[in-house]
Amino acid sequence: MDPVGLSGYLTVGAVLFVCGVICMATKRNAVGVLMGVELVLNGANINFVAFSRHTALGLDGQIASLFVIVLAAAEAAVALAIVLNFYNNHLTIDVDRAVELKG
Amino acid sequence: MSVPELLNHVLHTDLPRSVQIFAPELVLCVTIIALLLVRMLKWHHKFPTSWVALFGTLAAFVGVFAQFMYMKTGGELPQMRELFEFWGLTQAGVGTAGEYFTGLLVHDPFAVFFRLGLVLFLVLVQALTILTGIPDQEDGQDFYTLMIGATIGMMLACGANNLLMLFMAVEMMSVPSYAMVGFLKGRRLSSEAALKYVVYGAGIAGVMVYGVSLLAGVLGTLSIPELGSRFELLMGDQPFSLTNPTAVATALGIMLVVVGLAFKLSLVPFHFWCPDAFEGASAEVGGFLSVASKAAAFALLVRFALAFQGSGEAIQTLCLIFGISLGVVSCLSMTLGNLAAYTQTNLKRLLAYSTIAHAGYMVMAISALMVLLSGSADPVDSAACVEGLMYYIAVYLFMNLTAFAVVAFVRNETYREDIEAYNGLSAGGPMTKLLCFCLLIAFVSLVGLPPMGGFFGKFAIFASALKAGSVHWFLWVVLAIGGLNTVFSLFYYLKVLRAVFILPSADESRTVEIPGFNGAYVALITLPILALGMSWVMGDLTATAHDVAAYLFH
Repeated sequence: MDPVGLSGYLTVGAVLFVCGVICMATKRNAVGVLMGVELVLNGANINFVAFSRHTALGLDGQIASLFVIVLAAAEAAVALAIVLNFYNNHLTIDVDRAVELKG
Repeated sequence: MSVPELLNHVLHTDLPRSVQIFAPELVLCVTIIALLLVRMLKWHHKFPTSWVALFGTLAAFVGVFAQFMYMKTGGELPQMRELFEFWGLTQAGVGTAGEYFTGLLVHDPFAVFFRLGLVLFLVLVQALTILTGIPDQEDGQDFYTLMIGATIGMMLACGANNLLMLFMAVEMMSVPSYAMVGFLKGRRLSSEAALKYVVYGAGIAGVMVYGVSLLAGVLGTLSIPELGSRFELLMGDQPFSLTNPTAVATALGIMLVVVGLAFKLSLVPFHFWCPDAFEGASAEVGGFLSVASKAAAFALLVRFALAFQGSGEAIQTLCLIFGISLGVVSCLSMTLGNLAAYTQTNLKRLLAYSTIAHAGYMVMAISALMVLLSGSADPVDSAACVEGLMYYIAVYLFMNLTAFAVVAFVRNETYREDIEAYNGLSAGGPMTKLLCFCLLIAFVSLVGLPPMGGFFGKFAIFASALKAGSVHWFLWVVLAIGGLNTVFSLFYYLKVLRAVFILPSADESRTVEIPGFNGAYVALITLPILALGMSWVMGDLTATAHDVAAYLFH
């Protein structure tokens, strides 16, 4: 069996990226939008790791993916706290109901 | 190099130099820890924690200032010798520009200039929050922890030399900002503003890191200064075309990274969060975000843009496309920002649209820079673009802070932020009259009328756009739209000034009295706007900006 080449990994990364963007654009639930963000970040991570295996990027790519994982966790923690704060004030986490600020 | 040799080099050469350059940031980190300890030991009932934050930030400011003077004079300044010795500055450390922390960050006059501005701004904003009392005694530590943390991220952004550092810095300045926007407890608008900011911000950060992964993979490096040469190497003699995979992937990566930075700069079409976040957040936080995170994002954008200079045909085409796209974004931001500001009734929202328009003016400088680079221009002309941008940011720091400080002080007296609340404001006591006069100066400078600092910043940027127009005619279009927008912007600033000075107050018997300290603070931060327009300070700043910008192109 042939080993999976670089383009295979990149395709998976691109599919994850597109899924994430669609998820961010269409989900009305704030937690759903944040899950879309995670998909996009993991699409980038697959790219990083695949490039580190197959190109001159080397170990830098793997280190970058580790940092992205850590930052994603930090960002998710703050984002969930803000979503909870929104829920306490509005009793909903539907992003379409956040319409008081406009103009 | 073997592993022990590498470790030896890092420990004995790289680390002492890095720590010396990084000392002000370390002082800020220690301040954060001190703030957290204050909470743990329950000292915040005994003395105001804001003083801990202010003291730490002032120490960091002195540190960066010493570095700045050391680099400027080469350490030959007898009056400051003790200060240099205190911070342990040496010729091999701070005196030498170059990479530190094994190439993740870079130390040069440009980075030091922006770090100095950011810490100075942090000191001023902290003084403002102490005067307005926006974080109460219970929450002070958390608020200042977030604010100092965001500033450390911004200072890292100024020296970013690696794509990973670029992403880390953007995240480090964004994540505390989300929490700061939602800091007003129990307010519906504040929580909504924070939700919108975090949802947009997290999404754009994901898009940006995908762009970073593409760039890093295609060009095979994370180091920002090497990006351009790697691209030239890969392209060889081939022209830039949309059928070449390297060209397409690189252009896509650049586009996604610029989208991330454009979000931080609130450029159209990534500006949706800005008016909402500013209206929901307190005026102090709005002022902090509008100046500090923008200055840092501009420093990053300049570094990223300068990576793509080269003499090959492909890279010059890439620069031209990059420059013209930024020109289009600049036109859109200026026009939309100014038109939307006109219909606003909330002053914070009006100022938010005004910052979008100003980001448009500033990005014109980078657009001009890229177009000039695409034509192998004289380095002096390219440096003039960065010089104009730096002058504009320096003046913008003071004029925008003045405007937001006035909003905060008036809110403390009237509990309102709509423009109607400003009717007949100038009928108040002497301090209120002083406040109104300062607002007048700040707005005249924001419009860009001659005697104020704002005029000279705008003039310098317009002059570089005029020069870039000779490489590609599109910059003349951008320049014309910029000129028209300056005229548009006059109207909405005048609308506010009309309310303040001409319209009668709804309730004649009740006038607004501003406490003496607050009036003095606003007068203090208004002075630099005047000084940067019509005194010797202007020449000083121009000369400094000129030297700093020239260093980037040597």
